[in-house]
Amino acid sequence: MLETINLSKSFKGKKVVQDLNLYLADGESVGLLGPNGAGKSTTISMISTLIKPTSGRITMNGVNAIDKPGEIRRVSGVVPQELALYQELSAYENLKFFGSTYKLRGKELAKAIQQALEFVGLDDRKKDLVRTYSGGMKRRLNIASALLHRPQILILDEPTVGIDPQSRNHILEAVRALNQQEGTTVLYTSHYMEEVEQLCDRLYIMDHGKVIAAGTKEELLRILSTEDKIKVEVNKLDEAFVEQVKTIEGVYKIEVTELQLKIIAAKGTSLISKLVHLTEKHQIQLLNFHTETPSLEDVFLHLTGRTLRD
Amino acid sequence: MRSFIKKDLLIFLRDWKELLTVLLLPIVLVVVLNFAFAGLFDSDDEVTMDLQLAVVNQDNESEVLGQLKERLVHDAAFEEQEAKAVAEAAGEIQPVQLLSDYLESDEVKEWVTVHHLEEKAAAEKVKEGDLDGMLIIPQGYTADSLYANITGEPPTSSLIYKIEEETTTSSALQQFIQGFIEQLNYQFAIQEITDGTGIEAALPNGGLEDIGTAYDFTMTQYFTIALGALFALFVVATVAMKTGVEIRDHIFNRILLANSHPMRFLIGKMAAAVCLIVLQILFVLLVSHFMMGVFPDRSFVFWVGILLMVVLLAFVLSGLAAIYTAVLLRMTSIDAANGIFMLATLLFGTLGGGFFPIYMLPDWLQQIGVWTPNGLFLAILTEWIQFENPSTIVRPSMFMIGFFFLFTFIGLALFPKRGKAQ
Ligand SMILES: Nc1ncnc2c1ncn2[C@@H]1O[C@H](COP(=O)(O)OP(=O)(O)OP(=O)(O)O)[C@@H](O)[C@H]1O
Ligand SMILES: [Mg+2]
Repeated sequence: MLETINLSKSFKGKKVVQDLNLYLADGESVGLLGPNGAGKSTTISMISTLIKPTSGRITMNGVNAIDKPGEIRRVSGVVPQELALYQELSAYENLKFFGSTYKLRGKELAKAIQQALEFVGLDDRKKDLVRTYSGGMKRRLNIASALLHRPQILILDEPTVGIDPQSRNHILEAVRALNQQEGTTVLYTSHYMEEVEQLCDRLYIMDHGKVIAAGTKEELLRILSTEDKIKVEVNKLDEAFVEQVKTIEGVYKIEVTELQLKIIAAKGTSLISKLVHLTEKHQIQLLNFHTETPSLEDVFLHLTGRTLRD
Repeated sequence: MRSFIKKDLLIFLRDWKELLTVLLLPIVLVVVLNFAFAGLFDSDDEVTMDLQLAVVNQDNESEVLGQLKERLVHDAAFEEQEAKAVAEAAGEIQPVQLLSDYLESDEVKEWVTVHHLEEKAAAEKVKEGDLDGMLIIPQGYTADSLYANITGEPPTSSLIYKIEEETTTSSALQQFIQGFIEQLNYQFAIQEITDGTGIEAALPNGGLEDIGTAYDFTMTQYFTIALGALFALFVVATVAMKTGVEIRDHIFNRILLANSHPMRFLIGKMAAAVCLIVLQILFVLLVSHFMMGVFPDRSFVFWVGILLMVVLLAFVLSGLAAIYTAVLLRMTSIDAANGIFMLATLLFGTLGGGFFPIYMLPDWLQQIGVWTPNGLFLAILTEWIQFENPSTIVRPSMFMIGFFFLFTFIGLALFPKRGKAQ
């Protein structure tokens, strides 16, 4: 088990991560979610022992990992947000070198390279220079490079940015397989809610360097259990109507897009009947409406007042 | 460790533009500079010249034995009998004969046409520009130079070389005469008179036993080794630049996270630098040699010495690579670091005589030049090419080894403990 206790990091006096507490139990798949600049990468860098925290502790099975970075380095594989590859070497040569840094040799190394290549689907291009790869292929190789030594903990920092949906699915499935079949512990960072929802058992939501919510998906959604979200389509819209909708008791947020209204209101408000009443009064025809189940995206919106990719 | 060296070599060798720069550019420059400087400094370049030289012999050879014997008795207090024997033995060497043999030799005949004239006639023709220069063998010259040789005293009379004005041709002619003087290897001086003002120039002293051991040191040789060393500096800067890319691209972080000791990274760099530099300089030396015959007819030992010196330089420069690597890890701006390395390269290159012949610089600058690794390398090889004498290069080689340890030590001291400064 890996744990952080009140982990903080400042750059030139600016607090980038503040009192972060998180843990990774063996075999778990945990997501770290947050908008740009939330401090995700900084957190990952500290956990993977690349940078030292300003204060706080990191322990690996109870051992202080700040003084003994080897404790974590030995068992973890890190997929950095940036591509960390030799552009002038082929995929095979890259993996061969990185494998050797993990002290893999000979047959063992060759087998590890082969497995990693197949895992990310790059076997047929292994002889080509990385320079000639597409962005998605580079990302895949970036991941493969962290898998050679079969880490017990896999830490991925936004491994899918700028990747087409197909490659993205491939990567997500691969990581999922590692987690479920091999029992690899996964820490997955993203600002794509769908990815984290699909992949992770548990997640942490970060904003401005702080964890603002944590738990399983269900637990987090329960934050919104006191809310209803209704989408309404009408044949025309006027200011007066919108203003009156706003005054309905319990409504606390309205988003207007052309002929659509998104309304968030407290549970138990007799919103629908009141809406119907208002449309009649303004001679507006109600074309369509449905209640939406809240998503994690909504949880984030609820907690921060912003969307994840604002 | 092998994998570290291998990837550095691979990365360097894949960069064909860089490769062409450090391998072919120096050779091209050697060829170009060689032509540019041809005739200015060298006498053995592919320029045809027909030099007209007047030789005025005022010495009477039949009197030599008598004069010599007399002087030995009077001035050097030799016994009559002894003086006679010594004079007869010395008389076997006939400088004037040697001079005319030299001027008539196939090698020189190609370039120089000799006219035997009286002094007045010769002087007139030189003045009118019909002849390029005149060489006067003064009266008593033979006896005097033999006497000087026997007693070890400086000669009182010398060959006199006169030209009307300093031109490429006349100075080339002077080089021929100088070549003769070196061959003859007496202790004597040549007097050069330009526009009537006489300048006395003493030539290097040396005993007869030295004949044939000193090789010519040509411009081509200078350029070959100077440019080889200069571009070795560029190799180091390039290795550093590629290290900068590794750091910028977070590859170094990946290596750290593999729990690989950062020192492996550093030592791998140094080893790769040694390999690259040895290959690069040997390539430049050998290709230049086979193209232009830079080092004609040299022994196996000579080449072994060259190889040793090249390896030594490669080690010193690998120490420099260690410093660069450590600096890169400490600096936040990789571009700024690269700028510093380029400046260092140009500075070392200039001071060490990479850009133009070091002996054209003022003395004090030459002194500084020897304190750069490439300058020292140049000095050692200059010595080795001329004398091929191991004892003269041992001391400077020690300095090279000193450089290696100093640089490596600085590199290690600057190298961040955890592999990365924060
Ligand atoms: N080395 C550094 N020096 C100074 N500030 C830094 C440094 N690294 C990160 N920061 C700052 O810390 C904050 C958090 O950065 P971080 O990279 O951790 O965010 P992130 O959550 O990973 O964002 P993204 O989704 O864009 O990757 C940012 O404001 C960033 O400017
Ligand atoms: Mg990030």
